[in-house]
Amino acid sequence: MTSLAIPFLRRALPGQLTWLTGVLAAVVLILAAMPIITMIIMSFGASDTLAFPPPSYGLQWYRAAWHTFMSPDASDVLSMGQALGTSLMVAFATMLIAAAAAIPAAYALNRFNFPGKAVVEQFIALPMVYPLVMLGISLLLVFNYFPVELGIFRLVIAHVILALPFAVKNCAASIAGIGPEFEEAAYLMGARPLRAMFDVVLPLMRPGILAGMLFAFIVSFNEFTVTFFLYDVDTMTLPVWLYSRTVSSLDPTVFSFAVFIVLIDFGLIWLLEKLVGDDGVAL
Amino acid sequence: MLDQNSNARPWLLLLPVLLFLAVLAAAALAVIRMSVGSNGDEWHSVSLSSYADLATPYYMKSLWLTLRLAFQSTVLAVLLAIPVAIAMARAKSKLARRLLLTGVLLPLLVNLLLQSYGWLIILGPGGVLNNSLLALGIVQRPVQWLYRENGVLLGLIQTAFPLAALPMASALKAISGSYEEAAATMGASRWQILRHVLLPPAMPGILSGALLVFAYNASAFAVPLLLGGRRVSMLAVLVRDQITPLLNWPAASATSVVLMLATLAVMALSQKLVQRSQRMLGDAQ
Repeated sequence: MTSLAIPFLRRALPGQLTWLTGVLAAVVLILAAMPIITMIIMSFGASDTLAFPPPSYGLQWYRAAWHTFMSPDASDVLSMGQALGTSLMVAFATMLIAAAAAIPAAYALNRFNFPGKAVVEQFIALPMVYPLVMLGISLLLVFNYFPVELGIFRLVIAHVILALPFAVKNCAASIAGIGPEFEEAAYLMGARPLRAMFDVVLPLMRPGILAGMLFAFIVSFNEFTVTFFLYDVDTMTLPVWLYSRTVSSLDPTVFSFAVFIVLIDFGLIWLLEKLVGDDGVAL
Repeated sequence: MLDQNSNARPWLLLLPVLLFLAVLAAAALAVIRMSVGSNGDEWHSVSLSSYADLATPYYMKSLWLTLRLAFQSTVLAVLLAIPVAIAMARAKSKLARRLLLTGVLLPLLVNLLLQSYGWLIILGPGGVLNNSLLALGIVQRPVQWLYRENGVLLGLIQTAFPLAALPMASALKAISGSYEEAAATMGASRWQILRHVLLPPAMPGILSGALLVFAYNASAFAVPLLLGGRRVSMLAVLVRDQITPLLNWPAASATSVVLMLATLAVMALSQKLVQRSQRMLGDAQ
């Protein structure tokens, strides 16, 4: 509130939020959302060209999409429902496994000092900069020579690797705000370490854990590149299914499906935002 | 005994994460091994022919294109992220902060395939961009954006700028606005405040954001595939082409190893440059 005391400075300082910065930020964000907005508007169009804005509006593409959903074309390798089911299953498994791996890791990185810690931290961030295509083909190579048929776990393993940096960082950010005195107090009260962990530390970490889990779910649900290398007919996810429909031609039915996915995403991101709230997302 | 126990505990807790990362490491080693095999006898032979094949003008052009587009998109994404990051770090109202974060996360998290559909409509010959440019009289006839470098560049900037904005916002958030005011009260100019108060602590955030954007876009696959078609062959698309129609595993592996090495080299180089410039900033003070 000091800024109110010297109001003439408010507009002059770099790094301060002025109306100009605010407007610029809004413009950038609207531009960044343009592809999504355009596609949503397009899905309500009533002509079968890709001209934008559509000359007239209607729900015909939604009807067509609903029709496809209810009675899959015999020529389709796989129905959308099956792909959606696989997507949700993979995303759910990714979320649980990523959280189960990330929580102890975040705890270890925050509470212990050990040789090699810096290297481990770098290593955990690696999947964020690891080329997706390389991850795709390298996992394909490894899985092809793996003696056991992994089924959808091929995708789950890949997605967990991709989601780990997000999950660990969000869990670590939440544990950083909890001092060791909470556990110490629990020990003083006679709690054993495991009990202190489950009754004191984990509940306090909940926002970060949930944010990490949601992040993992969203990353998995939207993952396209790596899945594109690893899928087969039994393990096709929704994005790959959508892609397979558009290889030959782009028909606006696809936009209706896409809007459906975007709505799910929007709900998840809104929820994520509600969880991390003021702390922001750790990246 | 106790001491040994406390040394082992962090590693025990890290074990699940390390197992997954071990899969990643094993997979990377498999690709490196594959890249020095020869086509047809991948696991037993050793030859550098795949790398030698990469020394053609076609691949060199693709490598150069990849690095150039990644670099351009990084610079532009960082510039665009600045106002957004300031707004995220300094917005007072809760609703504004929620909207900002949602707006930043959408382009990052929504499936790139779906966003590319939107780009196809925007950039098409009769798309919004061309219509507005025509209406404004900036161009006389529709510009071909799709399947051209410019269109891919737009897509790369749009999908990756959140990676620049998020670390920058958290770095700015850590710098209290009162430092700037204090400096201003002491008579510092705007430039001095920017250079001595704001930039040094914000630099790590800006740099890590820039590196994320660079690495992300250097290996971009979906955007060049969908917006660039066959015309804008960034390395990641070439890797795919060598596998799906050609089944040339060693060539694909060698290409992706080159992609990885080029990314790592640029990242190491820029980290060095920033360290040096920070030292210089420190000396100047």
